[in-house]
Amino acid sequence: MAQPKIELQDLDLTQLMEVKKQLEDELSHLTSSFGQLKQAQNRFVDCIESCKAVNASNNDKTILVPLTSSLYVPGKLANVDKVIVDIGTGYYVEKTTEDAIKFYNRKVDFVKENLEKIQAAVTQKQGNLRSLVDVMQYKLQLQQQEQKTAAKA
Amino acid sequence: MSSAAALQKKLEADSNAYQALQKDYTKAVESRQRLDSQLQENKLVQDEFKLLKDDANIYKLIGPVLTKQDKAEAVTNVDKRIDFINAEIERVEKQLKDLQEKTEKKRIELVETQTALQQHAAQQQKK
Repeated sequence: MAQPKIELQDLDLTQLMEVKKQLEDELSHLTSSFGQLKQAQNRFVDCIESCKAVNASNNDKTILVPLTSSLYVPGKLANVDKVIVDIGTGYYVEKTTEDAIKFYNRKVDFVKENLEKIQAAVTQKQGNLRSLVDVMQYKLQLQQQEQKTAAKA
Repeated sequence: MSSAAALQKKLEADSNAYQALQKDYTKAVESRQRLDSQLQENKLVQDEFKLLKDDANIYKLIGPVLTKQDKAEAVTNVDKRIDFINAEIERVEKQLKDLQEKTEKKRIELVETQTALQQHAAQQQKK
Protein backbone atom coordinates (compact mmCIF):
# COMPACT_ATOMS: atom_id res chain seq x y z
CA MET A 1 0.00 0.00 0.00
CA ALA A 2 2.69 2.47 0.96
CA GLN A 3 3.94 3.90 -2.28
CA PRO A 4 7.59 4.66 -2.87
CA LYS A 5 8.39 8.29 -2.48
CA ILE A 6 7.14 10.36 -5.38
CA GLU A 7 7.44 14.08 -4.98
CA LEU A 8 3.97 15.56 -4.70
CA GLN A 9 5.18 18.63 -6.56
CA ASP A 10 5.77 16.60 -9.69
CA LEU A 11 2.15 15.49 -10.06
CA ASP A 12 -0.47 17.53 -11.86
CA LEU A 13 -3.83 18.43 -10.39
CA THR A 14 -5.82 15.50 -11.75
CA GLN A 15 -3.24 13.04 -10.47
CA LEU A 16 -3.30 14.78 -7.11
CA MET A 17 -7.07 14.46 -7.03
CA GLU A 18 -6.74 10.74 -7.63
CA VAL A 19 -4.20 10.32 -4.88
CA LYS A 20 -6.42 12.35 -2.59
CA LYS A 21 -9.38 10.11 -3.31
CA GLN A 22 -7.27 7.03 -2.68
CA LEU A 23 -6.04 8.43 0.62
CA GLU A 24 -9.55 9.30 1.67
CA ASP A 25 -10.73 5.78 0.85
CA GLU A 26 -7.94 4.29 2.89
CA LEU A 27 -8.72 6.61 5.76
CA SER A 28 -12.42 5.76 5.84
CA HIS A 29 -11.57 2.07 5.68
CA LEU A 30 -9.17 2.42 8.59
CA THR A 31 -11.63 4.42 10.66
CA SER A 32 -14.38 1.86 10.15
CA SER A 33 -11.97 -0.94 11.11
CA PHE A 34 -11.09 1.05 14.19
CA GLY A 35 -14.76 1.26 15.14
CA GLN A 36 -15.28 -2.45 14.62
CA LEU A 37 -12.26 -3.32 16.73
CA LYS A 38 -13.49 -1.00 19.45
CA GLN A 39 -16.81 -2.84 19.45
CA ALA A 40 -15.05 -6.20 19.61
CA GLN A 41 -13.03 -4.96 22.56
CA ASN A 42 -16.18 -3.89 24.36
CA ARG A 43 -17.74 -7.30 23.74
CA PHE A 44 -14.75 -9.00 25.33
CA VAL A 45 -14.91 -6.67 28.31
CA ASP A 46 -18.59 -7.57 28.68
CA CYS A 47 -17.65 -11.25 28.62
CA ILE A 48 -15.17 -10.69 31.43
CA GLU A 49 -17.90 -9.05 33.48
CA SER A 50 -20.23 -11.97 32.82
CA CYS A 51 -17.55 -14.48 33.83
CA LYS A 52 -17.05 -12.65 37.08
CA ALA A 53 -20.76 -13.01 37.79
CA VAL A 54 -20.44 -16.79 37.54
CA ASN A 55 -18.85 -17.32 40.96
CA ALA A 56 -19.37 -19.38 44.06
CA SER A 57 -21.53 -16.79 45.79
CA ASN A 58 -24.07 -17.16 43.01
CA ASN A 59 -24.10 -20.95 43.10
CA ASP A 60 -27.55 -22.53 42.89
CA LYS A 61 -29.21 -19.17 42.37
CA THR A 62 -32.11 -18.75 39.98
CA ILE A 63 -31.36 -16.89 36.79
CA LEU A 64 -33.38 -15.95 33.73
CA VAL A 65 -32.06 -17.50 30.57
CA PRO A 66 -32.79 -15.59 27.38
CA LEU A 67 -34.23 -17.81 24.66
CA THR A 68 -34.81 -14.85 22.40
CA SER A 69 -34.25 -11.18 23.15
CA SER A 70 -37.80 -10.96 24.50
CA LEU A 71 -38.41 -14.43 25.95
CA TYR A 72 -36.80 -15.65 29.16
CA VAL A 73 -37.13 -18.88 31.10
CA PRO A 74 -36.07 -19.37 34.69
CA GLY A 75 -33.02 -21.55 35.28
CA LYS A 76 -30.62 -22.46 38.00
CA LEU A 77 -26.88 -21.91 38.04
CA ALA A 78 -25.75 -25.50 38.53
CA ASN A 79 -22.05 -25.23 37.75
CA VAL A 80 -20.12 -22.13 38.64
CA ASP A 81 -16.63 -23.52 37.99
CA LYS A 82 -16.69 -24.11 34.28
CA VAL A 83 -17.78 -22.11 31.29
CA ILE A 84 -17.56 -22.86 27.58
CA VAL A 85 -15.72 -20.30 25.51
CA ASP A 86 -15.95 -19.66 21.78
CA ILE A 87 -12.39 -19.45 20.55
CA GLY A 88 -13.30 -18.96 16.90
CA THR A 89 -13.91 -20.93 13.68
CA GLY A 90 -16.57 -23.05 15.36
CA TYR A 91 -14.41 -24.37 18.20
CA TYR A 92 -15.52 -24.10 21.81
CA VAL A 93 -13.39 -24.95 24.82
CA GLU A 94 -14.40 -25.72 28.36
CA LYS A 95 -12.51 -23.50 30.76
CA THR A 96 -12.62 -22.59 34.41
CA THR A 97 -13.99 -19.11 34.94
CA GLU A 98 -10.53 -17.91 35.92
CA ASP A 99 -9.03 -19.23 32.71
CA ALA A 100 -11.90 -17.76 30.74
CA ILE A 101 -11.24 -14.34 32.24
CA LYS A 102 -7.56 -14.73 31.41
CA PHE A 103 -8.53 -15.72 27.88
CA TYR A 104 -10.70 -12.64 27.44
CA ASN A 105 -8.03 -10.42 28.92
CA ARG A 106 -5.61 -11.75 26.32
CA LYS A 107 -8.16 -10.99 23.63
CA VAL A 108 -8.64 -7.46 24.91
CA ASP A 109 -4.89 -6.89 24.89
CA PHE A 110 -4.62 -8.31 21.39
CA VAL A 111 -7.33 -5.98 20.15
CA LYS A 112 -5.77 -3.07 21.97
CA GLU A 113 -2.46 -3.68 20.22
CA ASN A 114 -4.18 -3.63 16.85
CA LEU A 115 -6.14 -0.54 17.79
CA GLU A 116 -2.88 1.25 18.50
CA LYS A 117 -1.48 0.15 15.16
CA ILE A 118 -4.53 1.44 13.33
CA GLN A 119 -4.42 4.67 15.31
CA ALA A 120 -0.83 5.20 14.19
CA ALA A 121 -1.74 4.45 10.58
CA VAL A 122 -4.68 6.87 10.72
CA THR A 123 -2.49 9.67 12.08
CA GLN A 124 0.08 9.03 9.37
CA LYS A 125 -2.51 9.01 6.60
CA GLN A 126 -4.08 12.17 7.93
CA GLY A 127 -0.67 13.83 7.79
CA ASN A 128 -0.22 12.64 4.23
CA LEU A 129 -3.62 13.97 3.28
CA ARG A 130 -2.88 17.33 4.82
CA SER A 131 0.38 17.80 2.96
CA LEU A 132 -1.34 16.63 -0.21
CA VAL A 133 -4.07 19.23 0.16
CA ASP A 134 -1.41 21.88 0.79
CA VAL A 135 0.30 21.03 -2.47
CA MET A 136 -3.02 21.04 -4.28
CA GLN A 137 -3.84 24.51 -3.01
CA TYR A 138 -0.43 25.75 -4.00
CA LYS A 139 -0.85 24.31 -7.49
CA LEU A 140 -4.30 25.83 -7.83
CA GLN A 141 -2.97 29.26 -6.89
CA LEU A 142 -0.19 28.89 -9.39
CA GLN A 143 -2.67 27.97 -12.07
CA GLN A 144 -4.86 30.95 -11.32
CA GLN A 145 -1.93 33.29 -11.47
CA GLU A 146 -0.90 31.86 -14.78
CA GLN A 147 -4.38 32.37 -16.12
CA LYS A 148 -4.36 35.96 -14.92
CA THR A 149 -1.06 36.79 -16.59
CA ALA A 150 -2.25 35.02 -19.72
CA ALA A 151 -5.41 37.11 -19.74
CA LYS A 152 -3.38 40.33 -19.36
CA ALA A 153 -1.06 39.44 -22.17
CA MET B 1 -14.46 5.67 -43.35
CA SER B 2 -14.75 1.96 -42.84
CA SER B 3 -11.55 1.97 -40.81
CA ALA B 4 -13.08 4.55 -38.45
CA ALA B 5 -16.01 2.26 -37.86
CA ALA B 6 -13.67 -0.68 -37.36
CA LEU B 7 -11.58 1.29 -34.90
CA GLN B 8 -14.68 2.34 -33.06
CA LYS B 9 -15.74 -1.25 -32.81
CA LYS B 10 -12.33 -2.33 -31.57
CA LEU B 11 -12.37 0.45 -28.99
CA GLU B 12 -15.68 -0.77 -27.68
CA ALA B 13 -14.54 -4.38 -27.51
CA ASP B 14 -11.31 -3.37 -25.80
CA SER B 15 -13.00 -1.26 -23.20
CA ASN B 16 -15.48 -4.04 -22.46
CA ALA B 17 -12.67 -6.53 -22.04
CA TYR B 18 -10.81 -4.04 -19.86
CA GLN B 19 -13.80 -3.56 -17.60
CA ALA B 20 -14.31 -7.30 -17.31
CA LEU B 21 -10.68 -7.70 -16.30
CA GLN B 22 -11.01 -4.99 -13.71
CA LYS B 23 -14.07 -6.70 -12.27
CA ASP B 24 -12.20 -9.98 -12.04
CA TYR B 25 -9.37 -8.19 -10.34
CA THR B 26 -11.59 -6.68 -7.65
CA LYS B 27 -13.14 -10.08 -7.08
CA ALA B 28 -9.72 -11.66 -6.66
CA VAL B 29 -8.71 -8.91 -4.23
CA GLU B 30 -11.84 -9.58 -2.20
CA SER B 31 -11.21 -13.29 -1.97
CA ARG B 32 -7.60 -12.57 -1.04
CA GLN B 33 -8.79 -10.41 1.84
CA ARG B 34 -11.33 -13.00 2.94
CA LEU B 35 -8.65 -15.69 2.96
CA ASP B 36 -6.40 -13.48 5.01
CA SER B 37 -9.00 -12.92 7.70
CA GLN B 38 -9.73 -16.66 7.78
CA LEU B 39 -6.04 -17.37 8.17
CA GLN B 40 -5.82 -14.89 11.04
CA GLU B 41 -8.78 -16.45 12.81
CA ASN B 42 -7.42 -19.96 12.43
CA LYS B 43 -4.04 -18.87 13.70
CA LEU B 44 -5.66 -17.43 16.79
CA VAL B 45 -7.40 -20.76 17.37
CA GLN B 46 -4.13 -22.59 16.85
CA ASP B 47 -2.40 -20.39 19.42
CA GLU B 48 -5.25 -21.01 21.82
CA PHE B 49 -4.91 -24.79 21.40
CA LYS B 50 -1.26 -24.55 22.30
CA LEU B 51 -2.18 -23.04 25.64
CA LEU B 52 -4.65 -25.81 26.45
CA LYS B 53 -3.96 -28.91 28.46
CA ASP B 54 -4.10 -32.16 26.55
CA ASP B 55 -7.19 -33.35 28.41
CA ALA B 56 -9.10 -30.12 27.86
CA ASN B 57 -12.65 -30.47 26.65
CA ILE B 58 -12.95 -29.16 23.14
CA TYR B 59 -16.26 -28.86 21.37
CA LYS B 60 -16.93 -28.21 17.75
CA LEU B 61 -19.99 -26.38 16.52
CA ILE B 62 -21.78 -28.47 13.93
CA GLY B 63 -24.96 -26.72 12.89
CA PRO B 64 -26.65 -25.76 16.16
CA VAL B 65 -25.03 -28.56 18.19
CA LEU B 66 -21.77 -28.66 20.08
CA THR B 67 -20.01 -31.99 19.75
CA LYS B 68 -17.05 -33.05 21.78
CA GLN B 69 -13.80 -33.54 19.94
CA ASP B 70 -10.35 -34.85 20.79
CA LYS B 71 -7.70 -32.23 21.22
CA ALA B 72 -5.38 -34.05 18.81
CA GLU B 73 -8.10 -34.23 16.20
CA ALA B 74 -9.01 -30.57 16.60
CA VAL B 75 -5.35 -29.54 16.38
CA THR B 76 -4.69 -31.50 13.19
CA ASN B 77 -7.93 -30.14 11.79
CA VAL B 78 -6.89 -26.56 12.33
CA ASP B 79 -3.37 -27.22 11.08
CA LYS B 80 -4.79 -28.72 7.92
CA ARG B 81 -7.10 -25.79 7.48
CA ILE B 82 -4.20 -23.36 7.78
CA ASP B 83 -2.23 -25.30 5.18
CA PHE B 84 -5.21 -25.23 2.87
CA ILE B 85 -5.74 -21.51 3.32
CA ASN B 86 -2.06 -20.84 2.68
CA ALA B 87 -2.25 -22.82 -0.56
CA GLU B 88 -5.37 -20.89 -1.54
CA ILE B 89 -3.64 -17.59 -0.81
CA GLU B 90 -0.76 -18.60 -3.05
CA ARG B 91 -3.19 -19.51 -5.80
CA VAL B 92 -5.11 -16.22 -5.56
CA GLU B 93 -1.82 -14.32 -5.36
CA LYS B 94 -0.77 -15.86 -8.66
CA GLN B 95 -4.17 -15.09 -10.13
CA LEU B 96 -3.82 -11.48 -9.01
CA LYS B 97 -0.44 -11.12 -10.67
CA ASP B 98 -1.75 -12.66 -13.84
CA LEU B 99 -4.76 -10.37 -13.91
CA GLN B 100 -2.61 -7.35 -13.24
CA GLU B 101 -0.45 -8.13 -16.23
CA LYS B 102 -3.45 -8.74 -18.43
CA THR B 103 -5.14 -5.52 -17.35
CA GLU B 104 -2.00 -3.53 -18.03
CA LYS B 105 -1.69 -5.04 -21.50
CA LYS B 106 -5.33 -4.29 -22.25
CA ARG B 107 -4.91 -0.75 -21.02
CA ILE B 108 -2.03 -0.12 -23.37
CA GLU B 109 -4.01 -1.63 -26.22
CA LEU B 110 -6.95 0.57 -25.34
CA VAL B 111 -4.84 3.72 -25.39
CA GLU B 112 -3.36 2.72 -28.72
CA THR B 113 -6.77 2.27 -30.28
CA GLN B 114 -7.87 5.57 -28.85
CA THR B 115 -4.93 7.45 -30.33
CA ALA B 116 -5.41 5.70 -33.66
CA LEU B 117 -9.02 6.79 -33.69
CA GLN B 118 -8.11 10.37 -32.84
CA GLN B 119 -5.47 10.50 -35.55
CA HIS B 120 -7.94 9.13 -37.99
CA ALA B 121 -10.48 11.78 -37.06
CA ALA B 122 -7.84 14.52 -37.38
CA GLN B 123 -6.91 13.32 -40.84
CA GLN B 124 -10.54 13.28 -41.88
CA GLN B 125 -10.91 16.88 -40.74
CA LYS B 126 -7.87 18.01 -42.72
CA LYS B 127 -9.41 16.68 -45.87
